[in-house]
Amino acid sequence: MTDRRRINGPPSGTRPAVFASSLKSASSISTARPRRQRQPDELRKIFLKTGLIPSASGSAYLEFEPSASLAAARSSPQSLIPPSSALKLACTVHGPKPLPRSASFSPNIVLTTHVKYAPFAARQRKGHIRDASERDLGVHLETALRGVIVAERWPKSGLDITITILEAEDDRWWGDAPDSHDAPWGMMNVLAGCITAASAAIADARIDCLDLVAGGVAAIVSDETPEGEPSTPKLMLDTDPAEHKSILSACVVAYMPSRDEITELWLKGDHSKASLGTTDQNLSHESLIDGAVNAARGAHTVLAEAVKESAERFAGLPTGGNTV
Amino acid sequence: MTAQRQASSASQTPLISPAELSYLYTSLSLPDGPIRPDGRSATQFRPLTAETDILPGTNGSARVGFADGTQAIVGVKAEVEKTVVAAEALNLSQHTQEEYADNESSEGKQSSTAGHGSWVQMSIEIPGFRDDDALPVFLSEMMREPLVESVAGGQGGDGEMTGGLKGRLVINKRWHWRLYIDVLLLSQPLSYPLPLLSLTTHLALLSTKLPKLKSKGEEDPFFDDDWNAAEYLYPRSQLKSHLSSTQQVRPPVTLLVISVGENVVFDPNREEIAVADTVLAVSVTRDTDSEGLKLLSIRTVDPPSRLTQPGVPNSENLATLGSTAAAEEAAMLEQSTGEEVSGVWRPRRGGVKRRTIAKMLKLVLEKGGVGEEVLEGLEGVQVG
Repeated sequence: MTDRRRINGPPSGTRPAVFASSLKSASSISTARPRRQRQPDELRKIFLKTGLIPSASGSAYLEFEPSASLAAARSSPQSLIPPSSALKLACTVHGPKPLPRSASFSPNIVLTTHVKYAPFAARQRKGHIRDASERDLGVHLETALRGVIVAERWPKSGLDITITILEAEDDRWWGDAPDSHDAPWGMMNVLAGCITAASAAIADARIDCLDLVAGGVAAIVSDETPEGEPSTPKLMLDTDPAEHKSILSACVVAYMPSRDEITELWLKGDHSKASLGTTDQNLSHESLIDGAVNAARGAHTVLAEAVKESAERFAGLPTGGNTV
Repeated sequence: MTAQRQASSASQTPLISPAELSYLYTSLSLPDGPIRPDGRSATQFRPLTAETDILPGTNGSARVGFADGTQAIVGVKAEVEKTVVAAEALNLSQHTQEEYADNESSEGKQSSTAGHGSWVQMSIEIPGFRDDDALPVFLSEMMREPLVESVAGGQGGDGEMTGGLKGRLVINKRWHWRLYIDVLLLSQPLSYPLPLLSLTTHLALLSTKLPKLKSKGEEDPFFDDDWNAAEYLYPRSQLKSHLSSTQQVRPPVTLLVISVGENVVFDPNREEIAVADTVLAVSVTRDTDSEGLKLLSIRTVDPPSRLTQPGVPNSENLATLGSTAAAEEAAMLEQSTGEEVSGVWRPRRGGVKRRTIAKMLKLVLEKGGVGEEVLEGLEGVQVG
């Protein structure tokens, strides 16, 4: 029996209305789209710090630099809606710890990955129970990490890796119609961030690894020129999906620089049309993978610094000081 | 519990002894081509039986069975649904259309023909797994992704498939089709079920028919009740003879490729996947506007070889050394070195070189390669 005495709100969430009067003109909408201010091969700055959660055996916090448009919107807000978002996530590692008595024997460490969006992380509210995309991210992360951890040094033990995403990347610019490109491109940036942070947290928990694995994203995007004409597709590293009209295909890798190996590769999208008109070798899937690897190399430098800081803290040295 | 936890990797932890694993690995990684346990060549698929249109209550269905007894059934159901357009998006697109009425009319049209990925729903049922376990979720995402990703240009004269499957589901601005793809694995997952499920889904989508639309334009949809007049979801172009069969839009198919040593092996069975260095799932499709195959997605799958038990070399084995205290001590010391001894199985560690990935992709995508062969073989199945 439906409730007829009250006027109830909608059962699911709604998004804030955009009043036509608040939009100055139609052209202001198209210029309101955040633009990429970085070079195609320039990455966003990464903030990565280990050991922030004392109760965990290892932890890391990762944050991407907000895009220029977001920083501008924060200093002088034009609208209630932020133009884009920047990734923020926390990763905790619990273990190695003994498996429960009921578990069967395992000669290797049993890795459990758990990726959860905070309900407020994305524009669309996420529920408290993990949905398919979060489980999918967990499997991707597990694949990326299992190749790195030297698993046979901890038989009969378990390792729990939990990632909480506090702010997620957008899948598209909020002003675009939902059907303009609905593939979850933001998920790929989130995965790259998860890999880098988890790698730092595992190193912080002093678990033996082959190398520090870092995540990187590259995408082939076709942007609009300011005149509204679609430009030729380009390969860009570390794309923010809000800044691009259409992303043709994207690739995320988990990469170990010292061994030059990839433990996780996830490429999706259809870029055949991009390479059709041109003879540009720069738009093949190989160059896309190479681009993602280059982005991962960039993230690796930050990762190495963060792990060094963690090691100095462990050894009781003052962090950042060059005391020899 | 452990089995549940590790179920997300390519299959259950294989119950194969380290000696067997080492034997399999050596024979599969031989420098002059792999020797497979069942005598197939590196690119040969397992024999299978296939039939379509087996479920009268669906819009399209298929059944595929492998010789080892694994079987899958896929049913495709279609429903008409009202398109919900977010108010803000509507406002904005109207604004844009007013403003750039002349030069952006093409874009306005595009936004009406572009579909939404969530209109395709896929559910996979595998016996022994809950539907929120990692394996079914991962598999359904893996198979849904290329399906909604594929965007055909429609330049080859095949205007119906503009915008790929998503575009095909649009009836008009207010109505669309919603597609439910239900995948049922009838047997236990003896090997990693991805190739079986993907082939079955491909055939079911090929045989899917939608009722013929009688209404025009923005009217409420009204359909021809003659089922014989129904149209295929993926149109056939028998009439347009200028289009060869290699230029029709086809549903994507996901191939499972493994690398063992320097060799690349297709359609691995359970034993082969247990020793794989890398497992890749590669989705390809054929399109009107490009000659060869299109790559839609690649995903690495966690190889189960990382979960296997290591073998113990004779030099460290107490049983062969004799259990003197000195030998025991030496064995304890040596164990920590963990060096690679040839012929003794070690669980695989590390990742895959880019060179190997490129080699695997080339074998799938090249002209006359495995991808084309598979799509041609599926074309041969009598549909309808």
